[in-house]
Amino acid sequence: MNLAATTPILIVGAGATISLSMGLLPWRFAQRHGPTIVALVGLLAAAVMSLVFWGDRIEAFDGSLHIDRFSMLLNLIFITAAIAVILLSIREPGAVDRRGEYASLILFSTAGMMLVGAAGDLIVLFVGIELLSVALYVLAALEVWRERSLESGLKYLIVGAVGSSILLYGFALLYGATGTTRLGEIAEALSGSTLTGEPLVFGAVVLIVAGLGFKASAAPFHMWTPDVYEGAPTPITAFMSTATKAAALAAFLRVFTGGLVEIEADWDLIIGVVAAAAIIVGNIAALVQDNMKRLLAYSSVAQAGYLLIGVAAGSIQGAEATLYYLLAYLVMTLAAFAIVIIREREVIDGDTVGALAGYARRRPVHGAVLTLAMLSLAGFPPLSGFLGKFLLFGSAVEADMIWLAVIGAIGSIISLGYYLRVLGVAWFGDRPQSAAEQGLESPRLAGLVTVASGLAIVALAVAASPVLDACRSAAESLLGA
Amino acid sequence: MSGVPLFWYLMLSFGLFGLGLVGVMRRRNPLLMLLAVELMLNSANIALVGFARQWNNTDGQIFALVVMAVAAAEVVIGLGLVVAVFRQRLALNVDEMSSLKG
Repeated sequence: MNLAATTPILIVGAGATISLSMGLLPWRFAQRHGPTIVALVGLLAAAVMSLVFWGDRIEAFDGSLHIDRFSMLLNLIFITAAIAVILLSIREPGAVDRRGEYASLILFSTAGMMLVGAAGDLIVLFVGIELLSVALYVLAALEVWRERSLESGLKYLIVGAVGSSILLYGFALLYGATGTTRLGEIAEALSGSTLTGEPLVFGAVVLIVAGLGFKASAAPFHMWTPDVYEGAPTPITAFMSTATKAAALAAFLRVFTGGLVEIEADWDLIIGVVAAAAIIVGNIAALVQDNMKRLLAYSSVAQAGYLLIGVAAGSIQGAEATLYYLLAYLVMTLAAFAIVIIREREVIDGDTVGALAGYARRRPVHGAVLTLAMLSLAGFPPLSGFLGKFLLFGSAVEADMIWLAVIGAIGSIISLGYYLRVLGVAWFGDRPQSAAEQGLESPRLAGLVTVASGLAIVALAVAASPVLDACRSAAESLLGA
Repeated sequence: MSGVPLFWYLMLSFGLFGLGLVGVMRRRNPLLMLLAVELMLNSANIALVGFARQWNNTDGQIFALVVMAVAAAEVVIGLGLVVAVFRQRLALNVDEMSSLKG
């Protein structure tokens, strides 16, 4: 009964379809709240099923899908992000205007991510990436009355499609070199060969790194990130920067640490260079941003660099560190975006850094969450962001890439410049009296997400050892355990 | 193997891929950019089918079929967005899309 193991993906897909058709029901309540309720129930059910199948690898559809601890852990990351974003979107203009499609598109995107996490075959990986991207192109442009939202959607579509084509060409070359699209068989076919001895594989690796680099918004493939993040509706930006990044990193781990493991000695440098570039470019560009969404966009470029360190290390230890940091990054970023979303309701220029002036003094609980998020993103001990970075840098040192760890550490120091600036403004800044208020109350659920994310940042550090055990066994399952 | 050797399939595919990449970077009309992206996706299809013949298995052909479906979905979304932008302000030039500086 291998089909049973795919239930998390099937539930999310079915939830998306049902949620899309709720508007056909005759009752007003079902039309208004049906899509959201169905989506949330579906996501929770999928999370439960992911926990049920937490165990040894089950191969479904003749090895195209690998249901293992790795994919289940990633399912939980995607589902958490999707639930948080749906809760944060309540009463957002885009979500109200398109209430029939909004939750459904998020679920379709989540299903695509889950396919990526469970992919055992290049075709599945490609379809998963496209499913998640196409749904996000629409979500980014969903506020059709706002020019910036449309522009963001169109830019994302064109850049995303270029990234997908480059990735696809890389997959085509990899197929050409090995004669199979199964990741397991590719690993077997390539055992004993070197990257420099196989021009096709070398070309494939370069193109795949570039293509996935677009999706993970790692430098030098990050040019679209600030524009798209700024223009898209803020909850969708939060979804893009957490779940999409996790999916892209999952693809990296599946292809490289899981599939191309035999010729690791050659590709780790390519990924290492991309990681270093992302850390440097992201951190320096973030220093001069005045818009919170752009600041978080460049910060997410830098964070993609940190996450890639674990892939470049090419070891189980590196994969474990990346997975743990993905969890930490998820909650830190959700917390930061939740504050921006709440602030956007209250004031007209809510997405600027200046809008946060004095905010932490007036709302100490939100201020505390913002502080936790910023300090953790910057890597302050003993928060989860610090632990994650520590493990990532450790895995780089273990893999004889000390230079990468050094660049990571320097990047973290630079990042203090902008993370602490946000905190300085939030706690000690003063907002001019003339500043325009909009005065929309945020729904209580948005506050709940904020506080829960803040608690999770602490919890991931306090309960680090069971979480790390889970990440460890998930990383080991990449190699078929 | 009889017929055209693999080398020429790959040359054609490389050529189209390069043409598409240059097109995306040089063109400023979103419709033509979408067209160039299609060119890139389909060049990968040619490579896939060529390799499939070389290896004498169908994996590559199945992949190419899936890619066609995916590319169609992507273009539909792309055209939809272009129409939405067009309605908003009758401008079809990405250089004029600069309310987001980037």
